[in-house]
Amino acid sequence: PPTNAGQAPGPPDGGWGWAVVFGAFISIGFAYAFPKGLAIFFKEIQDFFGTSYSEIAWVSSIMLATTYGAGPISSILVNRYGSRPVVMFGGLLCGIGMVSAAFCTSILQLYICVGFITGFGLALNLQPSVIMIGKYFLKRRPIANGLAMAGSPVMLCTLAPLNQFLFDNFGWRGSFLILGAILLNCCVAGALFRPIGAATASVKTQVTEKGTDALKEEVTGDAVEMSTLTDVPLKDKMEDEEEKDCCEKINQYLDFSLFKHRGFLIYLIGNVLMFLGFFAPIVFLAPYAKHIGIDEYSAAFLLSILAIVDMIARPTTGIIANSKWVRPRIQYFFSFAITFNGTCHLLCPLASGYTGLVIYSIFFGLAFGMVCAMLFETLMDLVGAARFTSAVGLVTIAECCTILLGPPIGGTLIDTFGDYKYMFIKCGAVMVLAGTFLFIMNYYNYHMLAKEEKERKSKEEHPTSVRTENEGRNNWNKETAQNGPELEPLREEQEGLKKEVNGT
Amino acid sequence: EKNITLDSATRIELSCRLDSKYSHLKSLRVTWKRGNETIRHINKTENSWSIQLMILDNSKLGSYSCVLQGEEEISAVFHLQVPKIEGKEKPIISYEGDTVVMTCKSFDYAPIAWTWYVTNGSEQIAINDSLLADKYVINRISANVTHLKILKVTKEDDGVYWCEAAFELGKSIGKLKLKVLSLMVPLKPFLAIVAEVVIIVTMVFLYEMYSKKKEKRAEYEKEFDQVEQL
Repeated sequence: PPTNAGQAPGPPDGGWGWAVVFGAFISIGFAYAFPKGLAIFFKEIQDFFGTSYSEIAWVSSIMLATTYGAGPISSILVNRYGSRPVVMFGGLLCGIGMVSAAFCTSILQLYICVGFITGFGLALNLQPSVIMIGKYFLKRRPIANGLAMAGSPVMLCTLAPLNQFLFDNFGWRGSFLILGAILLNCCVAGALFRPIGAATASVKTQVTEKGTDALKEEVTGDAVEMSTLTDVPLKDKMEDEEEKDCCEKINQYLDFSLFKHRGFLIYLIGNVLMFLGFFAPIVFLAPYAKHIGIDEYSAAFLLSILAIVDMIARPTTGIIANSKWVRPRIQYFFSFAITFNGTCHLLCPLASGYTGLVIYSIFFGLAFGMVCAMLFETLMDLVGAARFTSAVGLVTIAECCTILLGPPIGGTLIDTFGDYKYMFIKCGAVMVLAGTFLFIMNYYNYHMLAKEEKERKSKEEHPTSVRTENEGRNNWNKETAQNGPELEPLREEQEGLKKEVNGT
Repeated sequence: EKNITLDSATRIELSCRLDSKYSHLKSLRVTWKRGNETIRHINKTENSWSIQLMILDNSKLGSYSCVLQGEEEISAVFHLQVPKIEGKEKPIISYEGDTVVMTCKSFDYAPIAWTWYVTNGSEQIAINDSLLADKYVINRISANVTHLKILKVTKEDDGVYWCEAAFELGKSIGKLKLKVLSLMVPLKPFLAIVAEVVIIVTMVFLYEMYSKKKEKRAEYEKEFDQVEQL
């Protein structure tokens, strides 16, 4: 009889997974909040180097661009080496970047140290964190995603006063030095990302979406992987068993075949559109408040309200998205969140006075949190955990352009018309459009997936024995809907298959 | 009470108007004063008393008050002042050997000239940037903003600095504090945090190796049991 330790060949959905969520919380928090938190130092640095405000703002832009643009590189590295080394190296890079920034003598050196090096380090943190959640969680993945993404507002709320404190006591050079040390904590997050072979074992990358699925049910591979938590990334073992085709080789590092994946394309187009209007309102909320006569501290307080509501909204959205009513239709929930966000912006010009803006901030925080919590969850849901590594890289580099364009376009609108309301209308319109597009296209996608599932069922001999995370939604539909009874027959089937193969 | 900012010579009219709720007061007598000095030539209309002033130099600035003497004494004060200068409340931090730039800003009104002073002991010494050109550089960035750049900062540069703006009607001062630190100061927290990171990472790895060993041991024991059963 075989001596397999692995019973359920699936993601743990708990246990060490929560430590991974905590690590992801830290990584994601730094990746999103750090560029925003740097703004406190800009005035002083501007005076020090004698530059204009826009030259200083480039530091933030370069950092953001590098964090998103280096996505594919991050994905390739994760595919090759696994998440843990990449995150630890990223943390090290961030630390080195900021420490060298503390000794900079020109604005150009700041661009390189803070912009490129630290930005690249953060990119190496962001992607692997999200990928690891996909590897450790399946049934509770939305909650895990929501909790991890909550790192961003929490870190922002912590970094803003911390940066101010550091600046008052150590000046900008000392602060950069200490921030470099703080960023090294990303290495701690990386240490927590214990490699796991389970989730990727059951799916092979060569599965394409359309009709005929070449499912290589290499269950022996599964059994061997499950019993040991090895450091070797799974792809290496799979390489032995697959034919080394040129295209397949490239695909191992960055899965370009995703561009033929219907769900991926829908997500890509919808999100790229959405990001045009996503960040601009945050950037201009405080200036808009000051413009209509609110004092500086109350204007800053609006952003705090936004961050606090955001903090609560993300895990809550994760829990809602995990419920059995929403999980199968999570794409609709995502479209709804985007449309809700857009509607908030469209209604903002109607808000008059401070109370109106406070209400807007609360709803905006809620909508923003909802969208962010599900941002990666929906992508995982569409492409599955195995191809997610490449998918997230490709998506972030596409989003990079629109993220960078959004605020400047908003700024141009404000300058041209002298009124903030056109910027809000533009952002709102773009997001409502994106939300509607996603809603319609996902309806079509769900429809096609159901059709393909029916076709596949009628062709196969074994009824739904192996999980195909590509069409994950259908299976998870059943599992999440009826937990107990459904899971048992699935497990037994798999045990049966294993025994068969091992017996030969 | 009202503050009025004047930066150049001008003619100004100050008027006190009696609120309708006091109109029941009889025997009203209004005097305009500046300090102890009483001002004559009060223009009186139905409910207001005003004076006209020619402000030509610093001596005419100050606090002017109109006092209503009757059953109750009601007064209002006008403060005529030169524009205020903004320095920095919190100290500016710099490091030995580094350059530091200190900024002074005047709101709304452009001064005729800016002068910088450093406090030596209890006196203020003017900074002459042409004399000490490799140490101090004074730049007037715009009409309202001045920069003092101190090169190769040392511990002796630590202290209080003053920026003085000269207006037609007088001078106005802003205060700044410079604190010079050595590089050791931020280094201590830096090393502390790095040590914390190293310790936690080591602990995480040790825990992982420990739990792997436990799992392997459990596996061997299971195999052992199964072999025994056979």
